[in-house]
Amino acid sequence: MSIKEMTGPLAYAGIHTTKGIKLAVEQINQQDFLGETDLKIEVKDSGTSARKAASFTTQAIADESYAAILGPGTSSQAAAMSPIAQKSRMPVIYTQAGSEGVLVGDYTYRVTPPASSYFGVAGDYLASKNIRTAAVLYNSGIPTLSELGKKTVPGLAEEHGFSIQSSNGVPRDALDFTAVGSEIAEAAPGAVFVLLTGPQNPRAISQLRRNGYQGEIVGMLSMGAGNLETAGEVAAGAVWPGNFSALSNKPSTKAFIEAYKAKYGGEIPNNFAAEGYDAAWFLARGIEQAGSSSRSAIQDGLAEVAKAGFKGAQGELRFQGNDVRVEGVLAGWNGSKEVLVMPSGS
Amino acid sequence: MAQILINAVTLGSLYLLFALGMSVAWGTIGILNFAHGSFFMFAALSAHFIVQKVALPMPIMVLLGMVVGAVLSVLTQMLVFDPIQRRSTDHHRAELQILVGGIGISSILLAIAQHVTRSVPFGFSNSTFHIEVYELGPLQVSNIQFVILSVAVGMSALTAWWLRSARAGLALRAIGVDSEVATLMGVDRRRLAFGTMAVSGGLAGMAGILLTYYLGSIAAETGDSFLIKAFAAIILGGIGSVTGVITGAMVLALAETIVLTQMSGMWASAVAFGLIFVVLLLRPRGLFGRKEVRRT
Repeated sequence: MSIKEMTGPLAYAGIHTTKGIKLAVEQINQQDFLGETDLKIEVKDSGTSARKAASFTTQAIADESYAAILGPGTSSQAAAMSPIAQKSRMPVIYTQAGSEGVLVGDYTYRVTPPASSYFGVAGDYLASKNIRTAAVLYNSGIPTLSELGKKTVPGLAEEHGFSIQSSNGVPRDALDFTAVGSEIAEAAPGAVFVLLTGPQNPRAISQLRRNGYQGEIVGMLSMGAGNLETAGEVAAGAVWPGNFSALSNKPSTKAFIEAYKAKYGGEIPNNFAAEGYDAAWFLARGIEQAGSSSRSAIQDGLAEVAKAGFKGAQGELRFQGNDVRVEGVLAGWNGSKEVLVMPSGS
Repeated sequence: MAQILINAVTLGSLYLLFALGMSVAWGTIGILNFAHGSFFMFAALSAHFIVQKVALPMPIMVLLGMVVGAVLSVLTQMLVFDPIQRRSTDHHRAELQILVGGIGISSILLAIAQHVTRSVPFGFSNSTFHIEVYELGPLQVSNIQFVILSVAVGMSALTAWWLRSARAGLALRAIGVDSEVATLMGVDRRRLAFGTMAVSGGLAGMAGILLTYYLGSIAAETGDSFLIKAFAAIILGGIGSVTGVITGAMVLALAETIVLTQMSGMWASAVAFGLIFVVLLLRPRGLFGRKEVRRT
């Protein structure tokens, strides 16, 4: 069972993750990767409701035909599901869901690396631009974004030698960033970390620029997936660290991109699709390793695959415990399209 | 501080434009329309699709938004609210059914918008209107802020005048006081209800267009966020009072902006709504709510 947010404010993530999963499942079955057994994924739309996600988990646990769960992208949903799944020994592989309380035991895995593990690439970028001061604007209602704003960025500042001038949390559903934007613009820091949801990003950037802010803008993955298109030229120069870029030269990433484009009429995949693809392949490898469809055997199989790591859409995937790590890349917006600003290792 | 005030008044004006139509419909014909936020969003979405094909100036975009909002509102009145009001014999039950009906219409429009936009934000980047920022000493004011403030003042004055002096407005206020007696006096309640819903939807559409210009982009869910604010502004000011909704919108925007800039964003809604709660404890009908007279 794949529990994803196919509708609601985060549907852009759920839809793309599901596309990646479907591509992987098609490849797994075409290659007879699991021998005579076909992998089948049933998608359940949780909206962004933790209650629905928990309810689908209970349903999957009760029905023996479900061998594992591919979990949703928000931490609130994942945190509601994990204790239930762990207690009932149901393997769950999450994408996104980056906050604490999601990985609660050996049955819960995550194939999206925590942003803090690859955010260093943003520090390198700011150091290359000789940035000495920064401001932080974060969504205080979303745990992942709040954690980035309160912990990761201050840690980055300490490590890369710049100071945080101001740190402003905004409500989860904030619409207007004019007031806080004008305060930041007046202080004129060298960089602003904009850590907001997809739809909030173009608004915040537009209003910062309109207020006269001319420095660097560093965001996070929610700036991708077409979310800066409406801001257009105004958002040119915004960059964000990520775990995936469609412009990467890594062979396993390129192979994924070609297959994705072939399946979806030339559409270029984003990070959500890459993570969905890796989650499905991780599950298939776990099943193949287990040689059985029993949930406990699959858990053992996943643990073995995690120990060895594997190459996927995000490049070389290595695990720290049940949590994946990949090399970070820095993507950016040039006013009309997404570009690769700093390939890993450059 | 002056810059904070300018930004707060702009936000308050947007709350006001959104809430004005909702307040008129609720205070006169008794329809608390929870689909108002969806009309607001759908008007902007329709204008977004049109402006992608042909570059249009802002006045035409506003007009488009008003037409889409008015059409959606009249259709909702025709297909949902009017049948509920005609069939129900219990006024209280009809109010609850209207609430649920509004939520249903809102959910349908939201689902359509989420499907066609894939929840990616949309805006009017192809419009011929471009935002310019003017420096007035240490202050910054944009042309869209001037437009929003002017339209909010103009529409509030027009609505207040219409309700106080125009024949149809007086008839509407009579319905708001006692719909049965107003009907006995020859007021065509049904016709006026359609007219009021058209005006209310038109105001929602206008607010949707102006907000999208101001913010740069909105998402399918933006209307829902505004609905809660408008609801709070109307309750704070007093149902059916234009002065009340102006005051409610401004107090809410000012409280939110001050908390956001002086404290932390996570407290913005808590402080703003806490303030409303305190006011309502002292004045249960809101700041400018009318007293109800019940005869036995």
